[in-house]
Amino acid sequence: MRRPSAPASAPDRAASAEDVDQPTRWTRLVDRVLASAVWNHPAAQWVTGIAGLLLFALVVSVPLDLGEQFVFAATTFAIALLLSKTKGRVSTLAMMVLSVSASSRYIYWRLTDTVGFDNWLDGFFGFGLVMAELYAFAVLIIGYFQTCWPLGRKPVPMPADSSTWPSVDIFIPTYNEPLEVVKQTVFSAMSVDWPADRLKVFVLDDGRRAEFRAFCEELGVGYKIRGDNRHAKAGNINAALATTDGEYIAIFDCDHIPTRSFLQVCMGWFLRDPKLSMLQTPHVFFSPDPFEKNLDTFHRTPNEGELFYGIVQDGNDLWNASFFCGSCAVIKRAPLMEIGGIAIETVTEDAHTALKLNRHGYNTAYLEIPQAAGLATESLSGHVGQRIRWARGMAQIARIDNPLLGPGLKWGQRLCYLNAMLHFFYGLPRLIFLTAPLAYLLFGAHVFQATALMISAYALPHLAHASITNSRIQGRFRYSFWNEVYESVLAWYIMRPVLMAFINPKLGKFNVTAKGGVIEEAYFDWTIARPYLTLLLANMFGFGVGLWRGFFHPDAETTTLVINMIWTAYNIILASASLAVASETRQVRVTPRVAAVLPAAIRLEGGKVLSCQTDDFSQNGLGLALPEGVQVPSGSRIQVSLFRTDDEGIFPAVVTFSGKGHIGVRFDNLSLRQQADLAAMTFSRADAWIGTWGKRQQDRPLTSLRGVITIGMRGFGQLFGNVAKIVRPRPPAPAAK
Amino acid sequence: MNVISVVSSKGGVGKTTVTANLATAIARQGRTVLVLDLDPQNALGLHFGVAPNEMRGVSRATLAQQSCKSVVFESRGGVYVLPYGIVNEEDRSRFEHYLEAHPHWLGGLLQELSLPGDALVLVDTPPGPSVYMKQALRAANLALVVALADAASYAALPMMQRLVQTYCVGQPHFLDCLYVVNQTDSARQLSKDVTQIMRSSFGERLIGAIHLDQSVGEALANDLSVLDYESNSQAANDFRACAEKIVQRLQHSRHFA
Repeated sequence: MRRPSAPASAPDRAASAEDVDQPTRWTRLVDRVLASAVWNHPAAQWVTGIAGLLLFALVVSVPLDLGEQFVFAATTFAIALLLSKTKGRVSTLAMMVLSVSASSRYIYWRLTDTVGFDNWLDGFFGFGLVMAELYAFAVLIIGYFQTCWPLGRKPVPMPADSSTWPSVDIFIPTYNEPLEVVKQTVFSAMSVDWPADRLKVFVLDDGRRAEFRAFCEELGVGYKIRGDNRHAKAGNINAALATTDGEYIAIFDCDHIPTRSFLQVCMGWFLRDPKLSMLQTPHVFFSPDPFEKNLDTFHRTPNEGELFYGIVQDGNDLWNASFFCGSCAVIKRAPLMEIGGIAIETVTEDAHTALKLNRHGYNTAYLEIPQAAGLATESLSGHVGQRIRWARGMAQIARIDNPLLGPGLKWGQRLCYLNAMLHFFYGLPRLIFLTAPLAYLLFGAHVFQATALMISAYALPHLAHASITNSRIQGRFRYSFWNEVYESVLAWYIMRPVLMAFINPKLGKFNVTAKGGVIEEAYFDWTIARPYLTLLLANMFGFGVGLWRGFFHPDAETTTLVINMIWTAYNIILASASLAVASETRQVRVTPRVAAVLPAAIRLEGGKVLSCQTDDFSQNGLGLALPEGVQVPSGSRIQVSLFRTDDEGIFPAVVTFSGKGHIGVRFDNLSLRQQADLAAMTFSRADAWIGTWGKRQQDRPLTSLRGVITIGMRGFGQLFGNVAKIVRPRPPAPAAK
Repeated sequence: MNVISVVSSKGGVGKTTVTANLATAIARQGRTVLVLDLDPQNALGLHFGVAPNEMRGVSRATLAQQSCKSVVFESRGGVYVLPYGIVNEEDRSRFEHYLEAHPHWLGGLLQELSLPGDALVLVDTPPGPSVYMKQALRAANLALVVALADAASYAALPMMQRLVQTYCVGQPHFLDCLYVVNQTDSARQLSKDVTQIMRSSFGERLIGAIHLDQSVGEALANDLSVLDYESNSQAANDFRACAEKIVQRLQHSRHFA
């Protein structure tokens, strides 16, 4: 086994990269050994490096018979389990080394021992599966590399003398989003804490709408339009760059609401590191995405984006390869102009811009502190559309500006960017995994030229190590088996655009995700569910055939049959879970409510003022928890106070709902000034989104598996419920307002 | 024992109400609290259920050279009350002359009551410079200036600061001068602005803002403190927060036993 080597830490880039975990005895021992000056000598590094590689090659390639392989695998896995009980990053690295070894050993064995196919049918399915496995293996290994030591960058305080602070322009690009959605972002952008003479807010309206112009003029906010819509958002920003002059540009999608502390938290690093060109913060959402909404997992299971913003970007940061994600980020104007503005060659202009900045020798950074929050896409079809765009854009970059090639990048950066692109190629491999056992069950193809027991002895350690290691790395940001659910839902849809774009980057066209809509009636999205339905039926059929074979034609291959049927059963769960996501639940509010307990007070009609707390807030109303025994009837006109340290905002409101101890109120004709005050008291609070970020329970794989199975069963049930309805006419399509 | 003198240069700012409700809030924290009414209006007792026709009080007792211990009432809320008492004009004048002649009378009186070490005495005073205010300021560990969030109240603050400068600063037991804004109403821009100005000029010494809240008036009409009458009211909340700050401020000083 290789000695776990300490990754190159970057103390000059990290204000403080100390690990919060308590070191255990053995990690302290390792730390002491690593601290020895011997390791600074090149000879020592070469010797240990070569010795490690030789040992690694031995572990990967030494042939063992079945019994020996089982013993070896069991011992290694026991060590991994022991390691998983200890804390600290050294243990994590050691687990990664074990996982890489087990997977490499499996892949080596797979390629050398199991692909001597007898006929073209076996060869077709067999090589297909091998390719998918090689892809998964590559993503696993590069993923470990990417996330081996998340940098954990902390903010750098700004100098006390604010007269030295640079000028910043806040850009809010919009195209077709409703003013209601954009308003909130503008109000919050205006109340960002920064010297007033050095902060300008601009709405970049590619929709060229009169009401937007009027709104901006009334508030005294910059309003920019251009003559055409070429290159969509990238072109929109570039046009505004030409007519503005702030030293830095903060970019917010029109539905991402910044907190007042955004700039003060983000800008310090630019003053510390003159080569820093871009700093990204996480995208968090205060409304549920379609997975969370339709599976009812909002705030309980980490959503699809959390892994990326929780671990991957922070891991990229170690390698100086954090990339721009289009919103909630600050870019320095000079380097941006040097690379010709925001990249326009691909539909993921954000990642490509960061790649170009890195190529020009500039640094990029990631600060894992939620300083803005936004609306998630409300329907599955919208979500799918957005992911298709990301996937296609990444494939385009891989084609026209491949990070492995070209000048200016370090190897760490190349690998991080490569993985970001490779990640979106999961469509075909995932579909192969979802159908692979059918090759045997339906066609009798032998995709593995090995006995079922040998396969178990090699494949199980590979899967089990990867599973517990990833669970440890990602535990707070992605639960076990959820990756499969997310991928299964999207696989079919992103596969074609990715492959097309990879063949010809020009194919396809930009699409914008509609947000801030309502889904008036629950419905089942049959159109989008077609691939999941096909997969489900095929796997169920395969399972049936397997049962039939097991009972009526028992032969020597019982173990093989059982393994394939277990695999098929897992695939049935994934397909059913995907169906559950396609079952759209109602979303009645255009402006989602954010659950938050904030100090509040209500002034009743008689002049009494009662102290209370909010249950939730939105830009149109509040939920309030009243003190015991207080009743405020529906229809009452009251005034609601919200507090932020010493500040108080007071807003007229009408009680729209009155229940036991709780009331709902709707704000009553707020003036623009009051709306801005309201934003300051709610959405732009500095602490608004930090509370829940990364505070989830650590993953428990078995609990998580049970959760996924439950959702799969629910999807199964919903499917048959909806089949019953199918004879009736389809409900009206969702109205995206 | 610590003495907090509640003062203002302008009348009608709600000193007596603030004194009574703060006393109740501090007593709720488990401390011994005595309120002493040095205002001839003799209104403080009403907040604590002392009968309106009760004649006894600190003025009569002093003139009769009796111990004041006998005129300390214990209220329902556990606050001890020493009313001014009801006197005729002649006696009031005599009393005031007496105070003029004995500038450290109040200190002596409080010693004589032999209160426990952690006890707090809140002294209510009539508005503007008076012999009562002088007594209260000389004996004070903390001066608590009450102001409204309006222009007149703000304009009168410098005068109060001069009085504090004259009678408190330099006294060995004097700690600090604190401020509280009464009857703030954030729906009115002026109220908001004045509060903001006071916050920026006094910083931490502004210990709180009490909301304009109908519950305060209703509480008095019901012979209750607002904490007892409407515990969930914003004003009750504000008084509790102020009480908390005062206690903290005293704990930070070595004078507090």
